[in-house]
Amino acid sequence: MATMEQSGIQEDDDLVFRRICGLLEPLNHKGVKLSRDVDLVADLEVDSVSVLDIVMDIEDYYDISIPVNTISETKTIGQLVDAIHAIKGQQG
Amino acid sequence: MSLFDKFEKNAALYNQLSALGKNPFTVVMEEVLGPTRASIKGRETVLAGTHNYLGQTFEPAAIAAAKEALDKEGTGTTGSRFANGTFAGHTQIERDLAAFLGMQHCVVFSTGFVANLGAIAGLVDPSQDVVLVDADCHACIYDGCTLSGAETIRFRHNDPESLDKRLGRLDPKIKGKLVCIEGMYSMYGDTAPVKEFVEVAHKHGAHLLVDEAHSFGIYGETGKGVSEAEGVMDQIDFYSGTFSKALASIGGFVASNHPEVEYLRFSSRPYKFTASPSPSTIASAGAALRNIKETPALRKMLWKNVGRLHAALTQYGLRLAAGPAPVISVLLPTREDAFAAWNFLLDQGVYVNMAIPPGTPGKDSLLRLAVSSAHTDEDIDRLVAAYGAMAEAFPAARVTG
Repeated sequence: MATMEQSGIQEDDDLVFRRICGLLEPLNHKGVKLSRDVDLVADLEVDSVSVLDIVMDIEDYYDISIPVNTISETKTIGQLVDAIHAIKGQQG
Repeated sequence: MSLFDKFEKNAALYNQLSALGKNPFTVVMEEVLGPTRASIKGRETVLAGTHNYLGQTFEPAAIAAAKEALDKEGTGTTGSRFANGTFAGHTQIERDLAAFLGMQHCVVFSTGFVANLGAIAGLVDPSQDVVLVDADCHACIYDGCTLSGAETIRFRHNDPESLDKRLGRLDPKIKGKLVCIEGMYSMYGDTAPVKEFVEVAHKHGAHLLVDEAHSFGIYGETGKGVSEAEGVMDQIDFYSGTFSKALASIGGFVASNHPEVEYLRFSSRPYKFTASPSPSTIASAGAALRNIKETPALRKMLWKNVGRLHAALTQYGLRLAAGPAPVISVLLPTREDAFAAWNFLLDQGVYVNMAIPPGTPGKDSLLRLAVSSAHTDEDIDRLVAAYGAMAEAFPAARVTG
């Protein structure tokens, strides 16, 4: 997966990151500081269905489809952000 | 020890509840006393957490048919449908189900779970097809997608427009598109707008699978399900169902007018590599099917009971998930509330089902009441009284607190 520098989409990446963080914040009961390295299940204790629901909001916002298969391969916020960028690149 | 580490968190809760004797997931029906009664913890309890919608578990004709099959064909098939486990009864019930549903073909699997697993994994080719799944579909549909290995896209629950957008975005190179929905969803008791889904799916050249596990025998003029109630029985591509609810046995099936559904018999691993239902379970399911066809009064009685219970629970101000349906769910804000309310009802001599996230659609925990045509007036009185006491004791279960 491309890093922010490689893909040259730092600002856009930041927007996707911030959007995801906004959706995660209500579920962040432990008050974890959200960063790209935060693990959705291990650190935030967000269940798999909640992750799928968040992704649906992202899909509708960006008018893209993110397969369940892709989401199950992402563990951290950063990986989810990168996956969304990859799909935006293909479908957008 | 790392193999077992993952259990730690949930095991603590599970063991704690079990130790207190208050675990909804370890209930034992010590003695079954009838279609709606069992002894639980030594006490006679009204069963409203089983899915015995048409009360067929003690239907005399079904019991007689099962006994006869036991005597004539033995206790089990000892083989899979594909190899040595197809008896005359299996093919007979396939013909009976197809005839009842007005479809040309029917394939019987070992359970309802296995039917969806086997249909999806058998129909879809991961190299060229995509599955689109309602967000609230049952675990067996999601597991069917996983087993198929195909790209799986989730759309918003009961939202044909959300499906329309996702179908519209698909790569034109994709060959097969399978859309999966349910007739009645078993957590909230809400039903799908099947007609709108048919239109959207077919507009995009997709096939539609409707899982009517909880609605078979119950919805529609003749009990064919929500698809019949919506007037689109002849337009859905695949109809899946189970023997374990209205038919009060165990087994599952997929019916279709596409002759290719027969190819599941050699292309679906969950069909080929698991033992077929035993002769007696097939025989009782067949007898229950005949009884349902011949006795529309069962359905009327169920809906009468649904109406009475839904009205009473509404009057108590309980927060209900959906309109009148054979599943009536009360929403509770926290898992702790749900555990306590479930135990409260059990102490009142009423057994219902408890469901907690992530097994539920939203963030709520819920108490699922499953209504039966076999619930007597006395059963309903006891259910109404127990829910009334619960509404008093648990303001969190009420709309206005």
